[in-house]
Amino acid sequence: MGRTGRTIVILLAVLVLAAWWLTEPRPLRGALPDHVANAPAGERIFWAAGCASCHASPVGGKRAKGDDKLLLGGGLELDTPYGIFRAPNISPHEQDGIGNWTMIEFVNAMQRGIAPDKRHYYPSFPYASYAKMRTEDVMDLRAYLDTIPPVAGKIADHTLGFPWTLRRGISVWKLRYLSAAPIVSVATSDATLEHGRDLVEGAGHCGECHTPRDSLGGMMTGRWLGGAPNPEGRGRIPNITPGGKNTADWSAADIAYYLESGFTPDYDTVGGSMVAVQENMAELTKVDRDAIAAYLKSVPAVTDE
Amino acid sequence: MSNLNNLRFLLLTATMAIASCSAADDSKADSHADSHADDPRHVRHELMEDVGKAAKPVGKMLKGETEYDAAIIMASLQTWHDVSLQIGDLFPEGSETGMDTEAAPAIWEDRAGFDEAISKWRSAVEAAQAAAPATLEAAKTTVGPIFQTCKGCHDNYRIED
Repeated sequence: MGRTGRTIVILLAVLVLAAWWLTEPRPLRGALPDHVANAPAGERIFWAAGCASCHASPVGGKRAKGDDKLLLGGGLELDTPYGIFRAPNISPHEQDGIGNWTMIEFVNAMQRGIAPDKRHYYPSFPYASYAKMRTEDVMDLRAYLDTIPPVAGKIADHTLGFPWTLRRGISVWKLRYLSAAPIVSVATSDATLEHGRDLVEGAGHCGECHTPRDSLGGMMTGRWLGGAPNPEGRGRIPNITPGGKNTADWSAADIAYYLESGFTPDYDTVGGSMVAVQENMAELTKVDRDAIAAYLKSVPAVTDE
Repeated sequence: MSNLNNLRFLLLTATMAIASCSAADDSKADSHADSHADDPRHVRHELMEDVGKAAKPVGKMLKGETEYDAAIIMASLQTWHDVSLQIGDLFPEGSETGMDTEAAPAIWEDRAGFDEAISKWRSAVEAAQAAAPATLEAAKTTVGPIFQTCKGCHDNYRIED
């Protein structure tokens, strides 16, 4: 092998090592915020974050209702172009759920998309939104999840096509799309808007459905909340910015009332996958819903496509 | 050559056939519009629109956005009652799809459940009619529950477009 050949081999080796290092899962290091996790406060976060909508075990093939929403044994299947994702058991069951996770492991899962065994989670688990939550809220959520019933039974792993089976590649996705920084800047003096932003951009993960995605499946923040194709097939998820034709003339009070009652200003009722979301939002406080409404009225208007 | 002639003949007859069909369509245009208006998919949609229109002023009152007016409440209750008596018959076999219907297959798979959901709505309306609420506070407890029955039925028997 000549000198050029050796140089190429060394360069390649460096590249491989660099790629390996770049795709290394990066958990949070250092200390958690100085905060005593509070279960009642976490219950609000639980509804805002919609955990039950994916993780509550379906009952007779239908989504769980009432108290069954607190049985987080998983099992819901998301049929996507990448393959079938299965929501895991996140009940406090020690073997089958997340009962024996430490607080830092839970925070890493929610905000860095990293499992306790250091594997990357797929972004079907909306940690790209949860990354924007206040870590104190995530800790409260964990405290609440410890109070609900443990459910036995492990859920089978996802069934995905190649190359989506290569979890390491998710690192590249994360480098590009995972950030704790807020999407819309609001005046820090406006506590209502900040609170609404926390709920919409973070726990509520509204952008996951209402914002279109680029070819790599990341949210196109330039069209934040501007509506997107329905991942479940028919129709579109509506544009909920002040530029959306369906919701532009909704007042903040209309939005808050819709989230509370499920009625649009024309007294049609909420439909499709939004039914479960609205029922979760109804569990929040009026202050929360008013803040969400104020934030939605303040985001940049996106024109309908 | 004869093949080409055959082809020409075929094309000509096909064109004439299509032309005569569309002419027949034109002549039937008026009756077609009538049959559309009678179509259960159309009628049930219009009735549901009426239900929503009747709900709007009541909702505004219950929210305290407008002044309480018992006459408006009673008129809306009457609209809902009328519709609740007709709507169940407007989902016959053969009207499962088409015309952008949002009716869910569950209506035909679980007719008993669907009928029960409608009668639940009607019972709530009749209870409010009997109570004839004179004040906003009374309306909140008697008319309020009717609103819950809308969503209960839509969740199970309507699909989102």
